[in-house]
Amino acid sequence: MRLRTSACLFAALVCAPALAGAQTRSMFSNLANPALGMNALFTGTAARTLDQPYGLGFDEAEISLISVVDPYWTFVSNIVFVGDGSVDPEEVWVRSTNIPGIQIKLGKIRGTFGKHGLLHTHAFPFIQGPIIMENSIGGEGFKDPGVEAAWLTPLPWFAEVTGGVYQAIAADADHPLDFGSSRHDNVPFLGHLKNQLDLNNATTLELGQSILQGRGSDGFPHSAYGADVTIRNVPPRNSNRRGWILQSEYLQKGSRIDGSYVREQDGGYASFQYRLSQVWWMGVRGEQARQSFTDFLVDDTGAPVPGKVNRVCANIAWTPSEFSFIRVEYSHAQADAGNGLRPNDDRIMIQMSYTIGYHPAHAY
Amino acid sequence: MKSFARYLWGSVLGLLAAAPAFADLKVATSLTDLASVAQFVGGKHVSALSLCRGYEDPHFVPAKPSLMKAIQHANVFVSTGLELDGGWLPLVLPGSRNPGIQQGTKGFVDASEGVNVLEKPVGTVNRAEGDIHPLGNPHYYADPKDLEVVAHQLADVFSRLDPANAADYAANAKAFDEKMDASLEKWEQQLAPYKGSSIVTYHKNFDYFADRFGLKLFGTVEPKPGIPPSPRHITELAAAMKQAGVKVVLYQPYYSADASNELAKRAGGTAVEVATEVGGLPGTDDVFSKFDVLVNSVAGALAGK
Repeated sequence: MRLRTSACLFAALVCAPALAGAQTRSMFSNLANPALGMNALFTGTAARTLDQPYGLGFDEAEISLISVVDPYWTFVSNIVFVGDGSVDPEEVWVRSTNIPGIQIKLGKIRGTFGKHGLLHTHAFPFIQGPIIMENSIGGEGFKDPGVEAAWLTPLPWFAEVTGGVYQAIAADADHPLDFGSSRHDNVPFLGHLKNQLDLNNATTLELGQSILQGRGSDGFPHSAYGADVTIRNVPPRNSNRRGWILQSEYLQKGSRIDGSYVREQDGGYASFQYRLSQVWWMGVRGEQARQSFTDFLVDDTGAPVPGKVNRVCANIAWTPSEFSFIRVEYSHAQADAGNGLRPNDDRIMIQMSYTIGYHPAHAY
Repeated sequence: MKSFARYLWGSVLGLLAAAPAFADLKVATSLTDLASVAQFVGGKHVSALSLCRGYEDPHFVPAKPSLMKAIQHANVFVSTGLELDGGWLPLVLPGSRNPGIQQGTKGFVDASEGVNVLEKPVGTVNRAEGDIHPLGNPHYYADPKDLEVVAHQLADVFSRLDPANAADYAANAKAFDEKMDASLEKWEQQLAPYKGSSIVTYHKNFDYFADRFGLKLFGTVEPKPGIPPSPRHITELAAAMKQAGVKVVLYQPYYSADASNELAKRAGGTAVEVATEVGGLPGTDDVFSKFDVLVNSVAGALAGK
């Protein structure tokens, strides 16, 4: 007994320095923690047509977490705390580049549809997204659970073919497209073709075509189509001070009922952004959306009605660093509901964006 | 018919298997300097290209899809490391769909490994100090000796990926050392008369150069990294330069010449456009000629020529 006690005491004395050393460290390593970032977006709107007080509003705060899962997957997530108090897991997906030529995304992803639909809210070139977006694939693009594979073809220029399948979701505020059929064969699918060519060492041309289709609550196929063209100039010697982007996009939403196609909403925009200096950007955009809803086109009871909407807007942005900006935007819109209802809308907006921590670079 | 199909498949598979045996090692890099070192070390067995051009700001390379395409079939990607390419490489690398060069694979190289990194932040990193690099100053390629470290690292990587030519890679790395050491002796002699002299640079990307050649950094045209100069900062810095007798302002082709010239004019000095990256200015076709031109320009400016 005494021998055992002595042995334990001796062992404790021998181990003591090691234990003391270990106490200075946590047993839980944080070295593999994900890169963490947060962006906050605030917008103030002054519009006489809207039934709301002028003032600064909190739009959203977006938390990004990115990390490598294992040798096969990288995890990306953007969790958005919306101004109304709700939480939107906007994007939660994993990516694999283990197959040569192919990138796979799996999870709740931002579907590769169009050009504007790929942007996060704080990366919109104008404070207000194009009206046709909200009326076709969603104000912030198509964001549903699914799996996408993007193949970089062996052509000599960048030619990418993307295919995806998604969970079927019925129409709601975030889903203008009705994919609500409960039929087992209702698997909405997406197709996207992107070609990008360098016209010279400063200017690129990008062409995109997109299709998204599924079966609606009425049992008929519902679909969206898109086409976009972007010419972008970034002078190599002034990549952080000069440049311009000329972009146009057309979107259409429709359904095929009893074999005949019905165009429901369609429209597009053309925009020009110009970089004046390292910290100043300006832009102008013209757009039209047909059979579309927008916030100032309402009937006598305040209920939204569809119509043709034309809108022009101009903005100027001050970006003192890569991590913040303040921009001011003016827009003028005219709507025609076709029943004598033809309201005009003028609004001035101001928006502030702040980013802390790690934020992944936005796509070119 | 069946045997023909089998023959065809056999031929295709055979060609695919044999392809790497006679193909060059395709090396892509973030920076022209790294491509230059890779080409020297790899010699005839390697073809190296840089995604960032020498006259382009390495912090702000547009992540064009064509860059992804350019590295789709690369065997090795050499990143500058220390997050200098952190603004664009995280898009370009996965966009290439090339599994062999993703971070953590054998084909991905962080060229900064082994370099004695300057200005490693102590404590927490605060962006009130500007767009600072949390892992330290990434512009180590302005020190010739650091490029020797890169050369040896690349020789090791190339040897692992292409063991048949390992002896050539090792010999080339040794030859790189010898040529660089001999050149360095010449450059040190050229700049020896100006040891202790102060210079102003646009950005904090001369620290390694100044450390190697005994120059002092008096200030930067940018008030803080990544922040454009304000008129007030230019006025205050010009006054300080005048008082201290600092006459030389250095800036790269991708920075504003106007701000640098204005500062130099107010300080009674001179602003000189220099290249810290290969290909930044005419005559800077590899790392040796880059330093030849750079040292000549700095020595000339400090001599008041």
